[in-house]
Amino acid sequence: MIKLRNPGSLLPAVMMTVTAVLLSGCHGSRQTNEFVIPDEFDTGRHYDIVFWAKNDTNKTQTQIYNQAIADFEALYPNITVNMRLYTDYNKIYNDVITNISTGTTPNVCITYPDHIATYMTGDNVVVPLDGLMEDPRYGLGGSEVAFDSPGSDEIVPEFLDECRLGGSCYALPFMRSTEALYINKDYVNALGYDIPDVVTWDYVWEVSEAALAKNNDGTYALNGKDIMIPFIYKSTDNMLISMLKQQGAGYSDDSGNISLFNDTTESDLYTISGHVATGAFSTFKISGYPGNFFNAGECVFAVDSTAGATWMGSSAPLSDIHENDIVNFETVVRPIPQYDTSDPKMISQGPSICIFNKDDPQEVMASWLFAQYMLTNDVQIAYSSTEGYVPVTTKAQESSQYKDYLARAGEDADEHYDVKIAAAELLLGNMQNTFTTPVFNGSTALRNAAGQLIENVAKSTRRHETIDDDYMNKLYSDVESLYKLDQYGGASKDSQSQLGELPVASKLLILCIGASWMGIIVYFIVQFAKKKRPD
Amino acid sequence: MYRHMSRTAIGTGTSVRKHAVRTIMYIFLGIWAVIVLFPFYWMILTSFKSYASYMGEHLPKFYCSDPTFRNYVDAFTQVPLAKYFINTVVFTALTTALMLMVIVFAAYAFARLDFKGKNIMFVAFLALMMIPNELVIITNFVTITDMNLRNTFTGLILPSVTSVFYIYLLKENFEQVPDELYYAAKIDGTSDLRYLFKVLVPICRPTVITVIILKVIECWNSYVWPRLITDDPNYFLVSNGIQEIRENGFGRENIPAMMAAVVVVSIPLVILFLVFRNRIMEGISREGTKG
Amino acid sequence: MTKSGVTGKGIKGTLHGWLYLLPAMIFLGAFMVYPLIDVFVYSFEEGYNSASQSYFGVGSYNYGYVLRDRYFLQAIANTLILVIITVPVSTGLSLLISLALSSVKFLQKLFRTVFFLPYVTNTLAVGLVFMILFQKTEYTDGLVNLIIESFGWNAVDFISGPYWAKMLVLCVYVIWIVMPFKILILTSALASVNPVYYKAAKIDGTSPLRTFTKITLPMISPMIFYLVITGFIGAFKAYSDVVAIFGTNLNAAGMNTIVGYVYDMLYGDGGGYPSYASSAAIILFAIVLTITVVNLIVSRRKAYN
Repeated sequence: MIKLRNPGSLLPAVMMTVTAVLLSGCHGSRQTNEFVIPDEFDTGRHYDIVFWAKNDTNKTQTQIYNQAIADFEALYPNITVNMRLYTDYNKIYNDVITNISTGTTPNVCITYPDHIATYMTGDNVVVPLDGLMEDPRYGLGGSEVAFDSPGSDEIVPEFLDECRLGGSCYALPFMRSTEALYINKDYVNALGYDIPDVVTWDYVWEVSEAALAKNNDGTYALNGKDIMIPFIYKSTDNMLISMLKQQGAGYSDDSGNISLFNDTTESDLYTISGHVATGAFSTFKISGYPGNFFNAGECVFAVDSTAGATWMGSSAPLSDIHENDIVNFETVVRPIPQYDTSDPKMISQGPSICIFNKDDPQEVMASWLFAQYMLTNDVQIAYSSTEGYVPVTTKAQESSQYKDYLARAGEDADEHYDVKIAAAELLLGNMQNTFTTPVFNGSTALRNAAGQLIENVAKSTRRHETIDDDYMNKLYSDVESLYKLDQYGGASKDSQSQLGELPVASKLLILCIGASWMGIIVYFIVQFAKKKRPD
Repeated sequence: MYRHMSRTAIGTGTSVRKHAVRTIMYIFLGIWAVIVLFPFYWMILTSFKSYASYMGEHLPKFYCSDPTFRNYVDAFTQVPLAKYFINTVVFTALTTALMLMVIVFAAYAFARLDFKGKNIMFVAFLALMMIPNELVIITNFVTITDMNLRNTFTGLILPSVTSVFYIYLLKENFEQVPDELYYAAKIDGTSDLRYLFKVLVPICRPTVITVIILKVIECWNSYVWPRLITDDPNYFLVSNGIQEIRENGFGRENIPAMMAAVVVVSIPLVILFLVFRNRIMEGISREGTKG
Repeated sequence: MTKSGVTGKGIKGTLHGWLYLLPAMIFLGAFMVYPLIDVFVYSFEEGYNSASQSYFGVGSYNYGYVLRDRYFLQAIANTLILVIITVPVSTGLSLLISLALSSVKFLQKLFRTVFFLPYVTNTLAVGLVFMILFQKTEYTDGLVNLIIESFGWNAVDFISGPYWAKMLVLCVYVIWIVMPFKILILTSALASVNPVYYKAAKIDGTSPLRTFTKITLPMISPMIFYLVITGFIGAFKAYSDVVAIFGTNLNAAGMNTIVGYVYDMLYGDGGGYPSYASSAAIILFAIVLTITVVNLIVSRRKAYN
């Protein structure tokens, strides 16, 4: 009779197989139903709305959120809004992804359309807003809405278009900004140049190179210091994207086809590398925040979002550096450098609001009402005044309150800080010249890849590596696989063979593991055999 | 170098050589002490620098020209650090208590008791030790959310209770207690349970205390799991607090305030360690072989 | 003398043993084994995406994908280098320090307290300090570089510079972090060696080196093996240490570790791929399991001898 030596050890094995079978059915089983607009918003019930917001470590913005929530709750006492603040969009993105699988997404969330494209790869995760917007009672400017919400025609159409994915609208724009070129006028004049209304890339490169002139003792002629980085660009993704757009070169399209790795990109990278080599250009990730260098008189041209205008300039209300280090100069604001001054193009960016689907359509209605509240004049004007943002509704932009705010530029170095208002005016005057990049699942990765190209080239130049065609080919290949760009654009696997040969290192790895286990098994057999022979 | 190191290098060398050896050892230890202490010195130094002067420091300075307590005040006012402290104490206490119960039994089973499948189970346990935390986190997150334990202490504690690491450590320690004691106890008719608590644990007290201290430190510094599981500030721990300071500080990363927070957060641990260090450093008692 | 108590071979003994193990098994089962199975299942659900919650088939595509990803291979290389350098160096160094500690009497307590300090502090904060000490900014070359330059050598960018420099900082940091625990264990182990043996050796007139290799080393060898085994396992799981110094964009910096790769996959730009993350994790598990089993076999053999 064969006795089972270890009856207990069978149990774990059985349990494991059962669990495995059960689990594989569990993955991806959590789904919500499609959202249907209810006939009536039930004001009798209480709703708890979770709101994930981003603020730029600007205390005033937190206050504005709190005020908005308080005002909204006064209008709708049956809704309680719980806010959670983030300082980084990526963290919001990560948390949303984690919570999708457990069905615990927030109700309302401030995010980028790029990210929404990813959320939408699941079914019924994000609520489509077209129906809600057009609803006569609860839609934009609807009759039953307890506050003065803008109509859909009162939202700037360019901004609303950005929130359309696959034809439907999945988000409401919240704030908009663009990138601006902040120029140290004193330095530019000292170098013998004037500042045109629209600046070209050639101009910027030329003046930057001129700014590198040194005194006999090794300090820079322009500021008498040891440090001078004439041109710093904060967001290298935007830099490459804007350059390519202005040159009419490929980047991507709505179906997710990627054309970033083209010849124009390559020639742009060579240009950039040349200027990094002389020390005329650097980026935020390599050297530090442009505002810090700019305010300390160690930079001539700083490109940053208009939403960072409160950090730029001699009298900037917010600053990271010691007041003794700040140098006095005049700051002017211009659109980012262009290739064709008659057809300026600048990127439009800024937070948008999206609503997540829940099982209870009434809860979604409550979220929708709150999201709408964020578009009212009070919130729009208050929030946009904190930075160089622009309200997304023409209703707010044309209101007397906002126009008054703009007119008082320079009155003080705080709410009416002149650089900040100049930045807002820049976007207001250029709304037809803004563009956005196509949004699809993977557009975030593509954007990061674009930035990475410049970062890598800059880093390699600084390390005195040779930048030539071989380098560029390798760079393209590295960045493409870094961001897994081959996974998007409708790619899916066909068979193992499509993947290609296993690289040598992998084969080695598998071989080593296999060999070790052979050795281990042999060892145990030998031991077992020894034990069997007691003599 | 071994020649100089062993304590048994007694009496076989001349007095001069002994002194030379001693001096070299002191220098060696001194160098390592400096290497260990320097980052802490830097941390404390930075915590006393005001934000503006820290950002304005282009060349790192070894001293502080205008020390300020501002960062410490900020650490407690910008985030409710005191409340986080209390949360962390509760979390640590409960987790450590639970853990002790679990691992003492498990280590005893492996070290002393003999039962079928013991070796396989031990290898299985060891195998579990190799699973990195980052991996199980997502599944645990789903499990805890499904059990509706988000934002509760239960949800925080349960996955953090057991670690095979400590079972292994305690088991090694239990095994070094000689068999004679066990057989002696058995002859007296003592049950396994009594033997465990009346004899084994007291003998291995230094290691048990070490395990407690290590677990306390681990709970105190734990960050990833609490951050994932709680979004209600009422349940945040001190590590969340430090991150909050880092991110929501006055400007970009408020490094001095963060350093102040870290110093404040580490002080209880340091005190704990100082109080118990004698016990920890006792080593395994040699009394076990008597009788 | 009951049969179950001493020999434990009867059913009662087995049950007894398993009962003691039960609490640990419940916790580990729910929070370690279950996730492991979950991960295992994920690794065979090809291309499972967190956002879309769908996958396109069942098979080994994930493993194939991951094994061809140059960043995964880079991560394996980084992790292996880290393990091979830090484990022997830190164990050897802690042995030296422990030996030195046990032979000095004056200030011994002070040294031991100081040496344990790194364990008590938040590693993220300390990593930040290391980064600040080693980094090169526009304004200055950093503290460590200043020291290097005072010796007449060229400054090196340790944080964003050449690979060997980054690896060096990482290894130094990891060794710094793991030493306290090892020193603690080894000093306890050394203190527990029965002085009777030393006295006997002294009477016999044994040389210090022989005493060390024939008496001290074998007596503390279980602890050394424990440290080596857990050291290997711990080093393979390195991630938060690397992030503390280099930030979160590790793939781009070329400094990713296997766990970092897994983590990045979980939160990828395309919505998170638990599938690829899981395959990478299973591969990691396989590597570590192999090495640990080998280690265990070696330590068993040494112990018997």
